[in-house]
Amino acid sequence: MSFRLLPAVAVLAVFAAALAALFRWSLLEFVPGSLQPGGLTLANFRAVLAPQYVGAIRDTVVLSALTTVLTLVCAYPVAYALARTPSRRVRSLILVLTLAPFFTGAIVRTYAWVLVLGNTVVTWPVPMLFTERGVLVGLVHFSMPTMILILAAALSHIDPVYERAAASLGASPAHVFRRVTLPLSMPGIVSGGLIVFAWTLSAFPTPELLGGGKVKMIANVVKDLGLDSFNWPGAAAFALLALALTLALLTLVGRLSSDRAA
Amino acid sequence: MRSRLAVLLLVALLALPMVPPARAQNALVVSVWGGNWKDTVDRVIGKAFTAKTGIPVEYEVGGTIDRLAKARVAKGNPLVDLNFTTTHVARLYISDGLYDKLDMARLPASKEIAKEAFRSDSHIGSWAYVYTVVYRPDLVKEDITKWSDLWKPSLKGKLALPDFDPSHIITIAALMEGGNEVNWQKGEAKLKQLKESVAAFYSTDAQSQDLMKTGQGPVQVMLSVNAYHLQEQGIAVKVVQPTDYPGVVGIDTMAVMAGTKKAEAAHQFINLALSKEIQTELVKALRAGPVNLGATVPASLKGQPGIFSSTAEWKERGYIMNDEARAKNLPGWREWFTANIVKK
Repeated sequence: MSFRLLPAVAVLAVFAAALAALFRWSLLEFVPGSLQPGGLTLANFRAVLAPQYVGAIRDTVVLSALTTVLTLVCAYPVAYALARTPSRRVRSLILVLTLAPFFTGAIVRTYAWVLVLGNTVVTWPVPMLFTERGVLVGLVHFSMPTMILILAAALSHIDPVYERAAASLGASPAHVFRRVTLPLSMPGIVSGGLIVFAWTLSAFPTPELLGGGKVKMIANVVKDLGLDSFNWPGAAAFALLALALTLALLTLVGRLSSDRAA
Repeated sequence: MRSRLAVLLLVALLALPMVPPARAQNALVVSVWGGNWKDTVDRVIGKAFTAKTGIPVEYEVGGTIDRLAKARVAKGNPLVDLNFTTTHVARLYISDGLYDKLDMARLPASKEIAKEAFRSDSHIGSWAYVYTVVYRPDLVKEDITKWSDLWKPSLKGKLALPDFDPSHIITIAALMEGGNEVNWQKGEAKLKQLKESVAAFYSTDAQSQDLMKTGQGPVQVMLSVNAYHLQEQGIAVKVVQPTDYPGVVGIDTMAVMAGTKKAEAAHQFINLALSKEIQTELVKALRAGPVNLGATVPASLKGQPGIFSSTAEWKERGYIMNDEARAKNLPGWREWFTANIVKK
């Protein structure tokens, strides 16, 4: 092995050790009222397959998929404007507005949504705070800046000549978008979608604060088990299960998207 | 040469979190919650301790479970000498052999404290409070005077409960149905009737206070200390002294870490914290109940929920759960609560 690879191996060894510790804990028996785990068991995996935990996994996958689609729909026009606006001043303004949420931090942003969704600023026709709808709004807002930047980068690499050529041959603007711009921006859509989907699967503060304890995603359940129930083996088993599921889903989504992009 | 230097730097960076923070050599290290808790412990007990003994006090702050996890990995060679935590979580420290036995001969002030504050051979109460019903009269028009009022249909969609520790409402429902925290299943059906009333669940004290401030959860099963804190901030909340069943008492405790080399200083700190004078100051600062029966309670707090100043008040105005049963049952309670009350 090359000496140059040693730093990478050292870092990866830390990750591997952490995963091994997680795996070891997931196989230890949880003894209520004690920090000392018992012997080896598979009971933790059986326990985390209870309906409420499986429900949290299902909700996480559904919310992540919806977040990815909605973020894409909301981010695309902004990214397009950012990539194609000729005015430097307007581009700067869009960029500032896009990046501003990044600098406020996840907690501050989410607390702001608590006020907005909680009928203190706007009166909503349907309950928003402490519902999946409210969590979805928070997750989409949280993911927008990243999606915009990824899509804008992809769109700026498309030579406008292709769009002009299609238009000069009589294609309507909608047709140009559907047949030229959208397919050529597919690499950005795939990478942005994968990133947003992956990190929404592990979202924590947004569902914690906007879900009001009623909307639980995977990370919230891990925290509940580990920190509130002191059930570290159960938390480790659930985290491993969620990790395996996340990897499987990402592989599937990645493969489907690549096929589509190709 | 350059590669070797890079590797060394990387190893040094990776090892950085393992290096304990620099401490004054003779300092007593106290583990406590952050924010107001640490500030109060330092201002009221720490400063007086240093003035009396000349020993500086340093603090390790964090959440209940972060500190427990740290203590566990440092077992046998503790990073702290003295620990503050809730009485049932202290049972977990004890189960793992993380606490030393207290030497009562070195705690003469313990002779003045309520018997309820003696939690085990290894941990002793520092102050008390209750979980009780707290509400905003500007948003809830009818008076709430009893635990059973929480079940009124008019409170539908107004209640906020802690989901990180539902033991209080579970115990109260069990008491209503003739059970207690040990045979808590008796209250299951009663608890299920409360499901429709819940607007939100909170996981932290901060969330609880935010729900009250914004009006999202104007009726809560809430920590009395937090309710008094809201009153200080000008939020008009009413802290109920329930007439049907008492508030559920919480006791924060102190203990000496097993393996500490500063057991003598730790005992001195605990003894000072239990003294009448310090307890009087703690009541004022935290708005929590004293454990020393001789402590002076300000007139504005006398008789308020969670403030017990006599043996009779400890006995009559608060329900104290069995620590061991609570520590053992909590995971099961949470699981049942999530499946039956939290889940849509």
